[in-house]
Amino acid sequence: MAVRRWRIGLLIAGILLLGLGAVVLLQEVNPKHYVGILSWFVGALIIHDGIIAPAVFGVSLAFRRAQHRVPAVVIAIVQGALVVGGIIALIVVPEILKKSIGTLSSSILPQNYALHLVIFYIVLAALTAIAIVIYLRVFASRQKLRSSSDQA
Amino acid sequence: MQRLLYALRQELIAPSRNPRTAVVIGRLLGAAFVICFLTGLYSHFIQDPLPGMHFLTRPVWLYQVTQGVHITTGILCFPLIFAKLYAIYPLLFQTPPVKGFLHLLERASITLFVASSLVEIVIGLLNTYQWYKLFPFPFRQTHYALAFIIIGSLAIHIGVKLPIITRYWRKKDAYDESGEVRELPAPVDPQAHLPLPDVGIGITSRIFAWIDKAPAPRQPRVSRRGFIATVGIGAATVVGLTVGQSARPFDFANVFAPRKAGTGPNALPVNRTASAAKVLESAMSPDWRLTVRSGEVAKSFSRAELEALPQYEVELPIACVEGWSQLASWKGPGVKDLMDAVGANHGSYVRATSLEQGSIYAVTEMEPEFARDDLTLVALEVDGQTLDIDHGYPARLIAPARPGVLQTKWLSKIEAI
Repeated sequence: MAVRRWRIGLLIAGILLLGLGAVVLLQEVNPKHYVGILSWFVGALIIHDGIIAPAVFGVSLAFRRAQHRVPAVVIAIVQGALVVGGIIALIVVPEILKKSIGTLSSSILPQNYALHLVIFYIVLAALTAIAIVIYLRVFASRQKLRSSSDQA
Repeated sequence: MQRLLYALRQELIAPSRNPRTAVVIGRLLGAAFVICFLTGLYSHFIQDPLPGMHFLTRPVWLYQVTQGVHITTGILCFPLIFAKLYAIYPLLFQTPPVKGFLHLLERASITLFVASSLVEIVIGLLNTYQWYKLFPFPFRQTHYALAFIIIGSLAIHIGVKLPIITRYWRKKDAYDESGEVRELPAPVDPQAHLPLPDVGIGITSRIFAWIDKAPAPRQPRVSRRGFIATVGIGAATVVGLTVGQSARPFDFANVFAPRKAGTGPNALPVNRTASAAKVLESAMSPDWRLTVRSGEVAKSFSRAELEALPQYEVELPIACVEGWSQLASWKGPGVKDLMDAVGANHGSYVRATSLEQGSIYAVTEMEPEFARDDLTLVALEVDGQTLDIDHGYPARLIAPARPGVLQTKWLSKIEAI
């Protein structure tokens, strides 16, 4: 019963807030810009649902096919590193582009983002490799323990 | 088509894509959205107050913190929103696509929710380095309106999904003894009887056949934990390498934020330069005077005359709407003293006018609580140096707990209203 009341409350609050959003949009944004906003909505959905998500699926599929030969944890570590690298790229690459176009003030985008990104990837690759080596050592020693206890 | 959608959904199933991970990531993302919404509203209303609104002037770092949190949480939303969309991606291919009017509304509201959330965080990020030319719409107004649409859609989404959210809220309820996700007590998937596309007919069938050669993950727990660990590390990485622009203790790790402490003239970042504001001549003119007015009483001060007034030195952050901030030491006469010199009423608002051309921030207004504050100055120096022209030479406002955009530079007039 309580869940039902919460649901109704949330739905009503949501509809009211959506209405408020529509009013704010009408008041603050000239209708001539609505097509622009809508095009960004559609673009965002296409880029995510049509490009990023299938690409992620494709990569994860390739990894799944590799799991005959590679331990699942190693696959998880490499996948994790790729995802972290990808998200950083999504945030940093636009900065590099904008910096190359130029900014109105020298203190906007003052850093050498391209160099930092390269260094970041080197560090990420090194950390990933270290994590895999540590895991394989621990894993191998566990396997040894297991096989020796099996023999005993 | 139905078979294709069903097959797609089946192929996308992965151990990390389950209701429990959707709930775990969803509640973090929901909290992040609410934090961004509230801090965003604060920033909006301190710039555009409704009649009768008043604001806190202490702690002096209040706005620095609310806006730093706004921007940093916005950046944090990137890994979280991608993780959330990853967890629920198979639902995009649910069959039948629409089961009825309510289901259509639900899917439409989710589409609006996802699209507006993605657009909101992307334009927010691009705005922090002023890449306005990419937007075919005004940034601030759109960002503000979308915020209500997102929070409204969030409330509806939580309302619709509440049974799933409560079911999978706690870990021990979500998994059984063997570590498998407990299924919802729901009817069996009505499409489960549909045969998958036959191998050998058409491109789609070949693709599915190729996909099916990929074995299902053998260790679901590794897959799930790896997913959560990746989201955690991704979130820590994006925040850790950017938060230094808003929080000085982390400046050493700031390699990716659009601003860096200590850069710019007077070792302080600049948003709008004197050149962009077209004040290079007017601000350097020997004829420059600051006019102080209350009703019919008006006085004008040269820079030397302002320097001859009692000087105060205050430590205040300059905190930008774009999330960066830096503490500095400011020196100059008090706004309170200047307003007293023209007999202004203690309860009056103060309007500041800049020499700046072509900006909506050329004229700003200040509530009496800021105008009467001991720390609110007409600053002439920063960190022991004369103000650089990019920081507002010959004189600028500085007040506690206000956004940088209201700390009007290149002052020409302050008046009681």
